[in-house]
Amino acid sequence: MNRETIGQLLLSRKRLAGELQPAATERKVEEEGGCGVVGLCCSEPVAARHIYEPSRQMHNRGNGKGGGIAALGFIPEQLGVSREVLDKCYMIHVAFLDTGIRPQLEDKYIKPNFNVATTQKLETLDDWTTVDGLEAKPPDVYRYFVRVKGDVLNSFVKANGFTGLTRDEARAEFVNQNSIRLNQEYYASLGEQKAFVMSEGKNIMILKVVGYAEAIVKYYKIEELCAHVWIAHQRFPTKGRVWHPGGAHPFGGINAALVHNGDFANYHSVCEYLAERHIYPQFLTDTEVSILMFDLLERTYHYPLEYIIEALAPTSELDFDRLPKDKQALYRAVQAAHIHGSPDGPWFFIIARSLPQKGAFQLMGITDTAMLRPQVFAFCDGEVQVGLIASEKQAIDATLLSLHADDSRICPVADRYWNARGGSHTDGGAFIFDLEPDKSGRLRISCSDKFGTPVPMPTGGEACDFTAAVAEVAGHIRDGLKQSFEKRSAADIFEYLSGGIRRWSFAEIRAALAYLIELAKEPKGSSAAIEALTLLNDRRYPVGMKKRNHILYLVRSALNAVFSGLTKFDGNGPAEGGYRLIDHGTRGLLRPPQNNETTLVIDAMGFDPEGEGCDATLLMDAYLKGWRRFISFNCIGQRFIGCGLGPDSDGVTIEVYDSSGDYLASGIDGMTITVHGNAQDQVGQIIKRGKLVIHGDVGQTFMYGAKGGSIYVMGNAAGRPLINSVGRPRVVINGTCLDFLGESFMAGDVLNGGGFVILNGVTFDDEGNLIALKEPYPGSNLFSLASGGAIYIRDPRQQVVWQQLNGCGFYRMADEDWELILPYLEENERLFGIKVEELLTVDGKRLNPSEVYRKVAPVRIAALGKKIEGAVVTETDLLTVSTGE
Amino acid sequence: MASSLVPEKIIKEGLPDSILETMVPQAEVQRVIKPAPPRYRNEIAKYIIRRSADCKLCGKCAEICPQGVHVLKPGYKYFAAPHQNVCIGPACKDTGHYCVDLCPNKALRMVENPMMKVLGDYRWTPDLILATWKMAETGAPPPPEYGYEYECGNSGGGFDRIRFKFPARPPVELSPDDIDTSLELNRRNDGRPQIKIDVPWYGGGMSYGSVSNVTQLSKASAAVAFNTFTCTGEGGYMERLRPYDDHTITQVATGLFGVREETIQRVRIVEFKYAQGAKPGLGGHLLADKVTPSVARMRETVTGISLFSPFPFHSVYSIEDHKKHMDWIKHINRHALVSAKVSTPSDVDMVAVGSYSAGAHIVHLDGGYGGTGAAPDIAKKNIAMPIEYAIIKVHDFLTREGVRDRITLIASGGLRNAHDIAKAIALGADGVVVGTGELVALGCLRCARCESGRGCPRGIATTDAELQGQYTVEWGSQRIINLYNAWRIELVEILRRFGMRRVSELRGRTDLLMHLDYSNDTEQAR
Repeated sequence: MNRETIGQLLLSRKRLAGELQPAATERKVEEEGGCGVVGLCCSEPVAARHIYEPSRQMHNRGNGKGGGIAALGFIPEQLGVSREVLDKCYMIHVAFLDTGIRPQLEDKYIKPNFNVATTQKLETLDDWTTVDGLEAKPPDVYRYFVRVKGDVLNSFVKANGFTGLTRDEARAEFVNQNSIRLNQEYYASLGEQKAFVMSEGKNIMILKVVGYAEAIVKYYKIEELCAHVWIAHQRFPTKGRVWHPGGAHPFGGINAALVHNGDFANYHSVCEYLAERHIYPQFLTDTEVSILMFDLLERTYHYPLEYIIEALAPTSELDFDRLPKDKQALYRAVQAAHIHGSPDGPWFFIIARSLPQKGAFQLMGITDTAMLRPQVFAFCDGEVQVGLIASEKQAIDATLLSLHADDSRICPVADRYWNARGGSHTDGGAFIFDLEPDKSGRLRISCSDKFGTPVPMPTGGEACDFTAAVAEVAGHIRDGLKQSFEKRSAADIFEYLSGGIRRWSFAEIRAALAYLIELAKEPKGSSAAIEALTLLNDRRYPVGMKKRNHILYLVRSALNAVFSGLTKFDGNGPAEGGYRLIDHGTRGLLRPPQNNETTLVIDAMGFDPEGEGCDATLLMDAYLKGWRRFISFNCIGQRFIGCGLGPDSDGVTIEVYDSSGDYLASGIDGMTITVHGNAQDQVGQIIKRGKLVIHGDVGQTFMYGAKGGSIYVMGNAAGRPLINSVGRPRVVINGTCLDFLGESFMAGDVLNGGGFVILNGVTFDDEGNLIALKEPYPGSNLFSLASGGAIYIRDPRQQVVWQQLNGCGFYRMADEDWELILPYLEENERLFGIKVEELLTVDGKRLNPSEVYRKVAPVRIAALGKKIEGAVVTETDLLTVSTGE
Repeated sequence: MASSLVPEKIIKEGLPDSILETMVPQAEVQRVIKPAPPRYRNEIAKYIIRRSADCKLCGKCAEICPQGVHVLKPGYKYFAAPHQNVCIGPACKDTGHYCVDLCPNKALRMVENPMMKVLGDYRWTPDLILATWKMAETGAPPPPEYGYEYECGNSGGGFDRIRFKFPARPPVELSPDDIDTSLELNRRNDGRPQIKIDVPWYGGGMSYGSVSNVTQLSKASAAVAFNTFTCTGEGGYMERLRPYDDHTITQVATGLFGVREETIQRVRIVEFKYAQGAKPGLGGHLLADKVTPSVARMRETVTGISLFSPFPFHSVYSIEDHKKHMDWIKHINRHALVSAKVSTPSDVDMVAVGSYSAGAHIVHLDGGYGGTGAAPDIAKKNIAMPIEYAIIKVHDFLTREGVRDRITLIASGGLRNAHDIAKAIALGADGVVVGTGELVALGCLRCARCESGRGCPRGIATTDAELQGQYTVEWGSQRIINLYNAWRIELVEILRRFGMRRVSELRGRTDLLMHLDYSNDTEQAR
């Protein structure tokens, strides 16, 4: 958009701001809060009830004082309008806190300005108090499908001199200014608020309540309402007394809805920035300011999405230096113009928008530069595609499970799960799901990062038909499996099945697994089956052209079936294999182990996420009663597993399946915990001693303040792992980290009992082969201000540079260093099948450890203290320090 | 003495054997008031007396001095150096005991100690320091004849410009024995134990590292005597504190130094330190010289390397994280109360109500007047809202939100004496946390050199083996017990003058306060 047109828009808004009564420029105090967010898009329209389960599971990220949902891309018939009306008309939702003012409001703001195609009052239940999770009567919501009257638009364009705007752009500006006037009169200006615009745009709806988000689905009776894009938000406003949902998320701009998790540190300066452009918040939350920023960058400056994201989350530090030169010039210009409008502090946005010209929709997640809020992305490819963004992986899992129940073409395990690296040169800290019509007019989803680079998906496309009945197992497979089962050796069974999976059809795999479930019931069968299925779940093996996530789902379902088939707590009969199953229904029957019982199997479904009623509390009680071995499955994000068992818990083992939650293994002292899947945020805080094995990725602030323990992670750690760790933690991370690995690490002298991290920077390809990541450590900060310990990084190509270090340096990898880390790499090999030999092989050549691994250790910097006897490293071994000397 | 210890069985239920086995018998410390004279024979005094060669050793001065300043030991020919710290100065003129005038040979000369010009600072005036020493020595408010102005400092702001509006006579005549100074810490009614402390204050967190273990143990021991609490600070839990488990608060601060499950499970209160009023926006810091081998061992860090805690918690960036963090501690210890210590930003009211909704039992506002010498001046003097504003703001907001009686509001940050404590309560706090006052009782001079080198010349805020051997736990604890007792006497007197039976009646009674700068009241004579 040219400068002149931008000037016209800004001037127009200046006039608008001047006319508003009372003055919009009056600054009020911001309201604060925190929250949980989830976004979902699907190539087919999906019903609102699918947002219900993830919302419910994120209760503990809200407090029932603010919930909201947004939906985009409807089926016209469901709304009782024609396709043309849905596509061409603005769909405006107005919330009436005082229904009595509706005629007056319509006479002033709707009827004179718009041709109204239809007016609908959203249906509701008769009695709001019957809906669980509502704290106040939700507003009456009216939906108007409207078009701006031609003469009204003409005079608007003329009065504002909008010569540079298209008719569509002028319409959007008119609708927006009309909403601002409406809100100012009926919401922002009054002591008591009466009405406000919830959403304004094409094919978009926002609803919010004082309560939990899922209550909206019930109260407005929209369980069956279908849309392509949904976002939901659970709010945790700090202030206790809330009587209307004006401050709840999502906030809407023209054609867009935004939810936000976090809290700006610079709310006031962003407000100043907006005020300079004559834009004033009316709802006093940083979320509203966020959508105002987004709208400004999009509709006023007409930036492409990439620039908008750069303006919100600027690229900085080493990441900036690593951008191509032309991009640097461009980004420098964007930053120079908009840095003061860039939100600072922890934030994560999920934004959904409709692009009516293209008949397309977008769902995107943008994280702040420091990645201070949790965020997970997932994509499920196939005939039906689903893209998901959430604060917690368990919300994604719950959504997929809910979708799968309705449409079995959607696999409950996604093809890929990943995190964004904020403000980075690698992905830009944002991912966008684009829903665009293909030639036949059907919406298809593609996913790309900020730079437009598509997110790579597994190559295998062969899908499993989950609806088909499970066939009888073929004779040769039956015999083969039975034979491998003879010795009850999990390794044999795993070998047979993993070898077969590549060749067999999905039908054969399902039949084989069903037969394995049968075999598990034989004497001593359960533990062999559990262990073998666990290996199938944890390990990477070639699957041919089949979709790996479909196989994983089959394996996990089989595991679940075996667990569920174990002797229940209220059941009679011997505890076969020493297992005893307890669930939410039988939790009151907990007693000490009897007879041959060795392992308590906890079905976590139905337990609270924390507090007295959570499964981690049950586990703690069971430990006090003498149980020492635990299996926890069907987890839906419950927290604190393994916490509270106190010191010297040696001999305790906990195996965790499905969606484990935050703070897992925090503070453990002696026990062993194995997570058969991804782990979440704040895992292993202050861990003292013991062993933690994660067969997947792990979330934010992993091992914050840890003191010890042996820890193995098969995949990546997200942001800020091992910050402030002391003592002697020994950690192997086979993937990489987003950033800030080992900041302020203080774990002693590495060659004299101190702590270290081995960062391998490897992953698996689709065939299950070990491959090196593009770069072993992409972050700008490695081991910053560390004063003890070391990082051993597999970096044969010397890709990590001194600019990534701060207060530490590269040291020669001595024989002692290799001797120190080798046992941990060998254990890593045993656990994950990542062979030491393979790690030492680069481009087909077996190299010496010192050619493959680099040691990063602290240098004494004057700011932190004088040289002390027994210093951590001898300076003669120092190769490069962080100043580049 | 009434003790409100939770019955043993409740505390033990739900704790692993590995904790129970390590539980040690708890120390018993009687609340006995005994003189605890200064550590130094010639403690700093307000007046200096010089004896000239004109002295004929007649002994008149020793005879007339009611304070026992002049000492001629039997068998000695000459006078020993005078006990100047008990001298009340020219006030003796009024009672006819002024030795300078009465000396037949005019051999005595008295001047105000020039050190009074350099001792302390505007907030901790020399009088306030000397009066605190006197209280720590005797266990009672300093006798009026000393003339110490110790109810206020001279900072020109804060509590120094706030006064009580005492009625001419109490509306009800009460005996000090009728007055209850105890404080309930758990108001949530959430099934966790009720914990009542006998005085409306407890000791603030000072880590082993920032102060010596003798200092920590002295504080802990005094906490037992007054059935209140002390706090570990951020440096971990010393084994020697174990006999004081029931009166110790484990602090979980942003560096997580020394925090382990067992240190959370063995106590009755766990405190999250989000921020310190003296340095909001900064984590704790301990400079290299004070990180001695024993400090490094306890924190499991490297000897001689400065330790900077992050700000804020890396795992807590919003209110739902805060709740999760508290849920974690509550999960580990099912009986502990949880306190959130925060500084006083302009949105402190939101922070407080947020802490309530996240499940805290205690919200602890730490204002900017406190802080030892270790807190950087630039932070101490420039950041955060003054505590007297923060207390009112939070008290009112919690009241408006309808949750005031479900959370305990504790204030701290530069509360130096019983009058400050009473003012904080009248502004709206339930109780307070004290810190520097205890150190002054141990002989602190407020020289503000706590962080440098090996630390405190008086052996309080140090980890140097030689420096910290300057006094014993027995002496230190008696000094703090005496100080607490003197404060309690003064607090009871304030309540008596208002005719209040319980300290809780004083809470939020801003109508009883005046601000010398902003209200039209004038100070009345005492």
